[in-house]
Amino acid sequence: MKNASCKLLLPAAMASRLGTAVLWVAVIALNGCFGQSQLSSSDSSTGGGNPGTGDANLCAGPRDPGRITIHRLNRAEYNNTVRDLLGDTTGPSRDFPVDDSGYGFDNIADVLSLSPLLMEKYQAAAEALINAAWDRDSASGGPYSVRVCDPNGNPGCGRQILARFARRAWRRPATSDELDRYVALTNVAAQQGDLAEVGVKLALQAVLVSPSFIYRIELDSDPQTRSAHAVNDYELATRLSYFLGSSTPDDELSSKADNGSLHQPTVLEQQVRRMLGDPKSFALQENFVGQWLYTRATDSVQPDSRLFPMFNDALRAAMRQETQLFVQSLISENRSILDLLDADYTYLNDRLADHYGFPRPGTAVAQRTSVAGSKRGGILTQASFLTATSQPNRTSPVKRGKWVLSQLLCTAPPPPPPNVPPLPEGSGSGSVRQRLEQHRTNPVCASCHSLMDPIGFGLENFDAIGQWRDQDVDGPIDASGVLPGDVSFNGEKQLASILRADPRLPTCVVRQVLTYALGRGLTDADQCAVDDMTRALKTRGTGFADLFAIVATSDAFTQRRGEPGANP
Amino acid sequence: MKHWQLSRRTVLRGAGAALALPFLEQMLPSIARADTQPPKRFLAWYVPCGIYMELFTPTTQGAGYALTPILQPLAAHKSDILILTNLANRPARPDGAGDHASGTGAFITAAHPYKTQGSDISNGISIDQVIANQVGQATRFPSLQLGTQGGGTVGDCDSGYSCAYANNISWSGPSTPLAKEVNPQSLFDRLVGDIQQSEAAAQKRRLYQQSILDVVKEDSNRLQGKLGRTDQRKLDEYFTSVREVERRVQQQPPSCPVGTRPNLPTDIRDRATLMLDLMVLAFQCDLTRVASFMLENAGSNYAFTFLGLSGGHHSYSHHGTDQANYDALQAIDTWEMQQLANLLDRMKSVGEPNGTLLDNSVVFLSSEISDGDRHNHDNMPVIVAGRGGGAISPGRHVVFDSEIPVANLFVSLAQVCGASVSTFGNSTGPCPGLSA
Repeated sequence: MKNASCKLLLPAAMASRLGTAVLWVAVIALNGCFGQSQLSSSDSSTGGGNPGTGDANLCAGPRDPGRITIHRLNRAEYNNTVRDLLGDTTGPSRDFPVDDSGYGFDNIADVLSLSPLLMEKYQAAAEALINAAWDRDSASGGPYSVRVCDPNGNPGCGRQILARFARRAWRRPATSDELDRYVALTNVAAQQGDLAEVGVKLALQAVLVSPSFIYRIELDSDPQTRSAHAVNDYELATRLSYFLGSSTPDDELSSKADNGSLHQPTVLEQQVRRMLGDPKSFALQENFVGQWLYTRATDSVQPDSRLFPMFNDALRAAMRQETQLFVQSLISENRSILDLLDADYTYLNDRLADHYGFPRPGTAVAQRTSVAGSKRGGILTQASFLTATSQPNRTSPVKRGKWVLSQLLCTAPPPPPPNVPPLPEGSGSGSVRQRLEQHRTNPVCASCHSLMDPIGFGLENFDAIGQWRDQDVDGPIDASGVLPGDVSFNGEKQLASILRADPRLPTCVVRQVLTYALGRGLTDADQCAVDDMTRALKTRGTGFADLFAIVATSDAFTQRRGEPGANP
Repeated sequence: MKHWQLSRRTVLRGAGAALALPFLEQMLPSIARADTQPPKRFLAWYVPCGIYMELFTPTTQGAGYALTPILQPLAAHKSDILILTNLANRPARPDGAGDHASGTGAFITAAHPYKTQGSDISNGISIDQVIANQVGQATRFPSLQLGTQGGGTVGDCDSGYSCAYANNISWSGPSTPLAKEVNPQSLFDRLVGDIQQSEAAAQKRRLYQQSILDVVKEDSNRLQGKLGRTDQRKLDEYFTSVREVERRVQQQPPSCPVGTRPNLPTDIRDRATLMLDLMVLAFQCDLTRVASFMLENAGSNYAFTFLGLSGGHHSYSHHGTDQANYDALQAIDTWEMQQLANLLDRMKSVGEPNGTLLDNSVVFLSSEISDGDRHNHDNMPVIVAGRGGGAISPGRHVVFDSEIPVANLFVSLAQVCGASVSTFGNSTGPCPGLSA
């Protein structure tokens, strides 16, 4: 493996702390398939990185909160924001160019760029949104009302409308200078002989095209120093709201920013709990879980219709819904993050119950169903994950193993070098297991595949769309595996219990949540903060909701700093 | 706005709801001033996962070369295409693994994409943007970025490279990828959506849109001074985009037959057809002279079920010299060449004073790598179609004795398209052999 240098950088402190599972970690390092996620690397892959230093000496002193670039709203955030601002549920960002992702998520500020194409779409969307809102208001009014007075023949009304709307759209009060300039825009329409409302609507459109709306902007008193300072309460409300709801702050959160109390840890944590109980926090399922656990991929998987004629859009939707409702329950009930692996319940509708061989609940909407004593239970048995990590025409133990390593343990193996022979396909080439075992006779391949493949073998009872099988075309399924360090197991249940005990799991979940919360890739400088949070999580009992509270009240989340260097 | 061809408004509305835009002969614009030279057009076309080179590269050279199996769909256009062998895009080689993203980022930048997942994206400007910066100001859209697949990848895009490299081939600057349009309806609306307004209404609308842009531009100016350098760079993207939209707002809408608004297909075949039809419309109506097109994204694992293939493109491309994989690649690559042939058909059907639209165009087609298994960036598959207004002599297979940077080809093609360019990327000069 030409890129994965055989570094052994396992800190002694870690070895003494971690107990039995450290054996596996040590063997991984010795195997050489650890190059991209080493402690010395600043370029960790898949939002992951190393599983923890634990070295108290390295972590003395204050934490660097890191630097967050001004953050353009991504497509999901744009839609949710205009929904909460104007009551618009048309999803105008559908036609926006796709948001590129980095570190495993599409809310990474550094990666979210703005092109002329997108600017044009912003302008068109703003026009459509304001026109629709204006027309709606004349009929109803209500919480999303923009037209709070009639600007025609009422000189003060335009400013009143704009001040109110800008406060909500910009997530902070507009300055009087800003209001002056926006109100002046209304004169343009008057000069053309149009009604005052035409001008007000122009100014409202401009509010939605302004950088203050398009970007989440945080200001430093001195943008060129590294000294950390707390973000102000408006900025904090915005961070929290986009973290937990992918949207603009609601009225209660805004009022906590207006009265300047949000930065108080008790108030902040209280708001986290409240928001996690709000239906809008389902955005975490769409956006965070959708990318962390690959649930979003169920929208685009293409199982071979000849091999899997039963796969259709209804099943696709049921798979997605199962994982979303399952993780949502872990969060809303503050269950342990470890239950992700082996909870004894899941969410099934009729379609998915048929797929899994369970009694139908009698509904198209998924119902919570006990799976105690069955083959199912936990994310590793859910069809969304099992399908997203399969080839169209067969399972891929490699992809499943890589998913566990990168998404759950944050120890993604480096990608294969060029020129490696792929698995032979077709009849006469043996079972997938046999072909992979052949592949691993090459020591270059073995160094990584000995990590990935056994995990995938343990899941071989689940076919490429997540149905249980006792045998495939090559004969009875062998779901046994040997993990590095001679840890042998048989089947998904035993694998899940090994992973549940793996010390890298909680650290990795913290890293994933923190990456998403901050919208930036983590660096070596964040490791100490990750360790702090992991410790706090364990102290509190590893509850999922607690984890969100710990991240939201951390220095990394509540502080910011500038960056040295001259401005261009 | 300087339209080279039309002096009267001939807005026709096509009848029926055909999938493809109606390109009926009677709807083609009449050329008002036949003495005006038509402009040159540039298109860079990307296909993912390399090409099965053994069945792509002709075994004979020169004008009498024999078409290979993968090139068969182009038989009717043999005299309009140039096959170039022994071009390399060495800057595309990644640091470590990641050839798909790196090769895609470098596709038409011939620069070395910096390996990062996000915090410090760095590439070069792409050749289409170099051309657009010089010739694009004459048209409503300096350039268009089109594709068939938006993105939506979960997980790592490619071995530590940001998806920005994997999903975009056009770059207006080192850190600014230009997102592409993948929705044919939206593209139609952008191109010609405002064409049906009265002149007075359109004029007032331009004024209003401009006034909005003025206010937000001032917002961005005032903000600029309060930000650190990375944030300033981000806000520059905003400012540049506003300026670009501003320029467009100030221009007259085009006068050109536009056809009907297309429907929104889900099938990749229909999406490809529509995007190519609209691209031809944009060239034909002189809405733009520069375009890029991605037929899927870096390392696409699209399953071409309509070709009878159940596996994904990327999986097949790691062929391991297995015949079944080669067969699949041949089918996919041949399908890709059929799409190119369809475009060339369309471009040839548009008459211009000195020939056809194709005669006045340069179409560059290649992939992010050469062989899908070796991931190599030398011996790239390269087709150049069109005559570039006469500067190019197609109908040949040219094999260079020693390796030439593809950047040299970009220099030459940019020059053909009227851009003053002497160096680009890792170029060492112009590319020989383009004219006979």
